[in-house]
Amino acid sequence: MKTKEKIIATLQKRIIVLDGATGTELSRRGMPQGIMPEAWVLKNPDVLKAIHAEYRYAGADIVYACTFGANRIKLAEYGIRNVGETNRKLLLLAKEAVDTRALVAGDIGPTGSFVRPFGKLEFEKAVAVFKEQIRGLCAGGADLLVIETMMDIQEARAALIAAKETTGMFVMVTMTFDQGGRTLFGTDPLSALIALQGLGADAVGVNCSTGPEGMRAIIKSIKPFATVPLVAKPNAGIPRLVGKKTVFVTGPEAFAKEAKRLITVGVNILGGCCGTTPRHIQLLKDAVATMRPQAVMRKSIGALSSARRTVIIDAQKPPLIIGEKINPTGKKGLQQELLDGNFSLLRGLAIEQEAHKPVLLDVNVGVPRIDEKKAIQGAIEALAGTVVLPLVIDSANPSAIEAALRLYPGRALINSISAEKEKLRLLPVARKYGAMCILLPLSGKGIPSSLSERKRIIRKVFHEAKRYGFTKEDIIVDGLVMSMASNPEFASLALKTVEWVSNVFGAHTVIGLSNVSFGLPNRQMINAAFLAMALRAGLTFAIADPLVVALLRKKTIQKIVSKKTADPKKLLDLFAGQSRKEIKPLKKIARIEEKIYQAVLEGNRDSIDKLLKEGLGKGLGAYRIIEELMIPAIMRVGELFDKKIYFLPQLIAGAESVKKAFGYLKPYIKKSFIKDKQKNLILMASVKGDIHDIGKNIVILILESNGFKVIDLGKDVSAQKIVAAALRYRPDVVGLSALMTTTMVRMKEVIALARKKRLTTKFIVGGAVVSAPYARSIGAEYAKNATDAVRIMKRLHKA
Amino acid sequence: MKPLFFANITIPVPKKEIYRRLGYRDSITRIAFRQKQEIEHYIEEAVAKIRLRGAARRIPIHKATRAHVALKGDIVFRSRNVAAILKGAEETLLMAATCGSTIMKAIKKYALSSNIIKAVVFDAVASEMADAGLDWIMRYINQELSRQKKYLGRKRFSCGYGDFGLVYQKDMYRLLNLMQLGVGITKDFILIPEKSVTAVAPVYPTRP
Repeated sequence: MKTKEKIIATLQKRIIVLDGATGTELSRRGMPQGIMPEAWVLKNPDVLKAIHAEYRYAGADIVYACTFGANRIKLAEYGIRNVGETNRKLLLLAKEAVDTRALVAGDIGPTGSFVRPFGKLEFEKAVAVFKEQIRGLCAGGADLLVIETMMDIQEARAALIAAKETTGMFVMVTMTFDQGGRTLFGTDPLSALIALQGLGADAVGVNCSTGPEGMRAIIKSIKPFATVPLVAKPNAGIPRLVGKKTVFVTGPEAFAKEAKRLITVGVNILGGCCGTTPRHIQLLKDAVATMRPQAVMRKSIGALSSARRTVIIDAQKPPLIIGEKINPTGKKGLQQELLDGNFSLLRGLAIEQEAHKPVLLDVNVGVPRIDEKKAIQGAIEALAGTVVLPLVIDSANPSAIEAALRLYPGRALINSISAEKEKLRLLPVARKYGAMCILLPLSGKGIPSSLSERKRIIRKVFHEAKRYGFTKEDIIVDGLVMSMASNPEFASLALKTVEWVSNVFGAHTVIGLSNVSFGLPNRQMINAAFLAMALRAGLTFAIADPLVVALLRKKTIQKIVSKKTADPKKLLDLFAGQSRKEIKPLKKIARIEEKIYQAVLEGNRDSIDKLLKEGLGKGLGAYRIIEELMIPAIMRVGELFDKKIYFLPQLIAGAESVKKAFGYLKPYIKKSFIKDKQKNLILMASVKGDIHDIGKNIVILILESNGFKVIDLGKDVSAQKIVAAALRYRPDVVGLSALMTTTMVRMKEVIALARKKRLTTKFIVGGAVVSAPYARSIGAEYAKNATDAVRIMKRLHKA
Repeated sequence: MKPLFFANITIPVPKKEIYRRLGYRDSITRIAFRQKQEIEHYIEEAVAKIRLRGAARRIPIHKATRAHVALKGDIVFRSRNVAAILKGAEETLLMAATCGSTIMKAIKKYALSSNIIKAVVFDAVASEMADAGLDWIMRYINQELSRQKKYLGRKRFSCGYGDFGLVYQKDMYRLLNLMQLGVGITKDFILIPEKSVTAVAPVYPTRP
């Protein structure tokens, strides 16, 4: 029997015990700080062999060779170049220490460089780095491989792919999560499990970061979804800082007691990480000796994941919406961006859709003349840091799908596989990367027009898929919806397909919702009614615009589903009635004066022109609008801002409404009125060296909306320029802005120069670092914010 | 130790901090649904334009007094604030985070046009994302340090604050090799794109 099969057989009967910490034990036995353990133990092999042997005698079934950091990138930091030989020697040291009485795992730790899309290290380069190390471990005679302490799911995937492509050994992967239960890249334990078990890990779990008690909740939460045995290798408690020493607080007895509780929640393979000693492992072995492991609960699971979220299909209430908008068909801007290798629009579409709560996002980058392989990899990288939703890889190009699956940091859904030979070749690829597939009932001989033909194709493709280990949980069957405009029978056929797959064949289903109404009027209504009927037939997923579905409101659809009618027309009428009810009448404001006042108060820039037109039409008069409505309204906005009932965007919105209104009313106002009403003139500038001008621009906007005239000199303006402008325009006040302590000092220079030139103009200063005492010290007034500036200006105006 | 680069820092959008930076106060500020929608939309748009990247480097402290800290090599920070932050540390962690140039171009564009709200929201999102980027780097380094039985202090200090002159931005820029992140520096020591931040933090020894 091969070692891998022996491990699997043992796991059926009992808990497998791993060793404890190597690093902290080496430190305890004299290894100096700040050096590479792998290099030190090669010079001090007896110390390492003693640790391995002690773990073996303590009862460990598997010891980890001291190869955690023995990859090309880490070794290079210490000037070691021979990666293969280093790994082989270290592996042999472990073998010599434990003889044949324990298995030796080749230990693979992180490289310290992050892998794309989360870091700079190219994914294929990472795979090559790990392959090089694995070849050395194999040469040393490793019995199995363990990939451990991974924080980056992508690095864990690279190492696992390297392992699977190099050897057929048993491979365990353990990630490390912080106290919030996620890795630093936001990966949660369930998403890590779904991605890694899909990719072929033989056991998955957790190590380091926390003690056994901290791992219990993690193991318990993922056990129901695991198709492989679970591993835990906790620290001896959470390290605490006592004085200046890090102390691991969980002793061997307490560790063993807690470890037993880990078995009860589903751990199959158990050992110790930082701070654990041979004594911890000895007591652990004794404690679990008579305990029976919890079997793996399932063979497969219908689940999709990204680096940061998992969707368990059966745990969701249909319809599960797949956002359809990342598709360049008919979107010229997106097409051009994709051709240019730019992904801003694509990211925008993803964020926009995510806000309306779909469960997955479909990604299609198919544009004529595009390098689709490169484009889809770029899209995956762009989306990995943008949205948390799992992705659907949508392409007609099998090599683009394979490239996407290799890079995708989770378990993806392929859209789609059908009975054509070229598409069937994707099945082993999907299996290798653990992807789920949408099964499309197409065979390359046109659209199948009968249910029996569709059934035959579905069964044929699934039969092929089964050969690669797929179950019905791993596939989602497409109802193949065509437009009712071309053939009304196709809508009914799609519903029958969904019904048969859901109720007889026993798999999840999906439809491309908007296809049904293509070329027809009232598309939303048709889509809603069709979605309702498909849900009644047992539909799971709908590929649609999440915004539109959000508008249809799930409750409305559910109401339609619950009606006992099969007549599409009645359903359409019913929906039409529901949709009318959804439109709530706007609260009526009787008087136009109130509307204008309210528009400023609410910062409603879009409707202000229309309201002013209405007001002028009703004879309000421009002067009255300004004096009785606009000015009181903006003053009220200022008051609300001072009381913090409004915050900055609301203050600006009010000011922008007034500014827009002034522009609209200008032709109706005599110049003399403007001159009369124009309050003091202010010269504004950000001082030399300060390139930040948003704050200054806000102050200008608020001052203008309160009727002051402002001349803006811009940012990074020298003292000479400011004083020259002051001499030229003779303003009533000069306003200076600075954001940094280093540029704040320039305010003093400006005022000093102004006084030297015999300018008596008043100065107001403000900005993040400026304070009232500083303002006083340089002979200026201090405005803490924009409304304060208005207050000071009004005071000065009256004076 | 060479600088470590983080090419794509993925963090949840710190919405609470963004709203707070914009002046929102829980249980006091009232905001209409339409305005909330508008701001949320701007936040989404800003996030799509941010590519958060970072760098970190640990450097041993050669000598420290109450007024200055000399790092291994030729760098001396003459700052009482920095000396206070790094008191008792054996190394310092230098770090930087940048939001990239796309968001800055957008902020400038909207600040010049009539949509200052958008510029202000974009500015707040970028500032908070950059800050959250430094938080993320500190969490990452702390996790690495805990395996070496070392400990990263919680506080950090940035150039341009207190007596830690902006002139040291030049040293931070060089030591962290920020050019690799597409960041430049002006003759007045301002990082370009502007939504780029640097900081120092203490690394304490936990073994004698």
